[in-house]
Amino acid sequence: MKPAAFEYHAPRTIGEAVRLLAAHGDDAKVLAGGQSLVPLMNMRLARPRVIVDLNRVRGLDGLREARGVLKIGAMVRQRVAERSPLVASRCPLLRDALGCVGHPQIRNRGTIGGSVAHADPAAEIPAVLAALGGEVTVRGPKGARTIRAADLFVTYLTTAIDARELLTEVRVPVQPRGAGWSWMEIARRHGDFALAGVGVMLALRRGVIAEARIALTGVGPAPVRANAAERLLTGSRPSDAVWQDAAEAVRGAIDPDGDLHASAEYRRHVAGVLTVRALREALGRAGAPGSGGRGRPRREAA
Amino acid sequence: MAPRDVAVTINGRAYHGRVEPRKTLADFIREDCGLTGTHLGCEHGVCGACTILMDGDAVRSCLLFAVQADGAELRTVEGLADGDRLHPIQQAFWEHHGLQCGFCTPGFLMTSVAFLREHPHPTEREIREGLAGNLCRCTGYQNIVKAVAAAADMLTSTAPASDSGRRVAKKGARARRRTPEHPPRRRRRRIAR
Amino acid sequence: MKLDGTNTLPAPVQTVWETINDPDALRRCTPGLKELKPIGPDSYQATLTVGIASVKGTYAGTLKITDKRAPTHYKIVLEGTGGAGFMKGEGTVDLEAQGNETLLRWSGDIQVGGLIAGVGQRMLGGVGKMLIGQFFKCLEQQFGLPSSGGAAAGGPAAPGQPSAGSGDR
Repeated sequence: MKPAAFEYHAPRTIGEAVRLLAAHGDDAKVLAGGQSLVPLMNMRLARPRVIVDLNRVRGLDGLREARGVLKIGAMVRQRVAERSPLVASRCPLLRDALGCVGHPQIRNRGTIGGSVAHADPAAEIPAVLAALGGEVTVRGPKGARTIRAADLFVTYLTTAIDARELLTEVRVPVQPRGAGWSWMEIARRHGDFALAGVGVMLALRRGVIAEARIALTGVGPAPVRANAAERLLTGSRPSDAVWQDAAEAVRGAIDPDGDLHASAEYRRHVAGVLTVRALREALGRAGAPGSGGRGRPRREAA
Repeated sequence: MAPRDVAVTINGRAYHGRVEPRKTLADFIREDCGLTGTHLGCEHGVCGACTILMDGDAVRSCLLFAVQADGAELRTVEGLADGDRLHPIQQAFWEHHGLQCGFCTPGFLMTSVAFLREHPHPTEREIREGLAGNLCRCTGYQNIVKAVAAAADMLTSTAPASDSGRRVAKKGARARRRTPEHPPRRRRRRIAR
Repeated sequence: MKLDGTNTLPAPVQTVWETINDPDALRRCTPGLKELKPIGPDSYQATLTVGIASVKGTYAGTLKITDKRAPTHYKIVLEGTGGAGFMKGEGTVDLEAQGNETLLRWSGDIQVGGLIAGVGQRMLGGVGKMLIGQFFKCLEQQFGLPSSGGAAAGGPAAPGQPSAGSGDR
């Protein structure tokens, strides 16, 4: 299986890349890590006429914190983010979710920006972005703009990024000091796409939940932010009953598809189960001095 | 789509080619460089048979275009052995029967080399997770996991060699001569196919 | 893969019937429909490019409308093959008057095979429903516009306005 012919460009600057996209529009596809795009091209399910390879572009691989926000360049490799002490201490939810992204070989090439722009309905990084209320910067012929996570993921493999725009940076708010977190997903085998996945963050104040974030993947065309469950949790004291109520709200908020791998009912059920487990784990981690993550990424075999 | 020049270093040796941008790195290594140890199992990034090391990282060469590797340092399965001396990972696969047909093996070896460099003392669970990106249809993985664990021991062993260079393993398994990087020369058994 | 749904369209049954039998209207609401050539009564040769994001396939095949019971029911049978796979399906469309509006019930059974079905299995159902939803949303919007050929002179009635032939409610 070999890809169809294409015109190949390897720009060296962001400006050059943006000009190429402006010139070719819908005919062009951006090549970042290639771990999702190249399989489609090899199978000729995607036949872009023009490829704009970002791997030689300077300035897209920054990873730093500024004023409570983790700023991740679009071309930061998933593996680099996964191993970064900065990510581990400022956003351990992202670090844990990254451990579930595919396999090590995939994470060696795959990028943070690429995963976000590809918007696979069962991907981890978009769900983390949704949970934590992140945003992205895209640059187009008319300049740069910001797209918030809530507006970014439209449907299967589709974001609000225009064909002529280039995603340059992903930004995630740093998790509050002392917040607990958990990423839980279920898949048939290590590295398979999640049948359902849940990312949770809990911040407590004097034993009461001050802030709750929950987002799910694999249960719809785009990541689902469980707003009703979050509202239910905020202001409550943690208890098993409260976790079950939150799980019920999560189950009510999703409308998963069934397929060969899992029925809609199974996905809905498992989403609730994972929510309870994730909330328990997040509570257990809350209050630890600094949010330095020590937990392992959690992935259960189905 | 005009062909482009590609220059890479593979196993310490320089290779050049002139290829269409759509030619995958796996095909380039096999066809243009004549190194057919890297195998094509699925060509869509699932099986890991095409795994090589690019600038030290384990990557799926079927998901890279050759033009993307221009200037890179690659390592393939052909670069593991030192002449007649097997790399510890190869030695371990052999001793622990970690292969049957051998098709997936180059991919497993390259993945393991990178994995063990990062996880010198892995638990069994860590080994299984680390190898999860490689599929084997023959072995059922048990012996592969054993082989990787054994290779980890070999690579991290600091036990000094005795005068004769021999050291009998505790459980009466076959004697293993330990040296820091490569076991000493031994005759390579021909595997009949 | 069984899919079904209902849509309420802001026009009386007769107008909706005429629109869903009008190849131009169908073409307008199916952006990937590159060709719809009549090859016989209620029989068409079709070329359809369909997909999501950059995953697109072009299928060439036939579309037949059978079991016509004007103005409330027909059945579509389609099949096509392309590089990414093949598809075969049949569906029924039923119209029911609801005042000056029409309740359209559709139901289909589509088989998709080949590479796209294997690789895209986990998204096929969702994407299929979404594309069909887009088709009907477009159809809904057609009734705000003057129709082309086939429909009653003066265009379809706007919601709430009586038109010849439909009862007042």
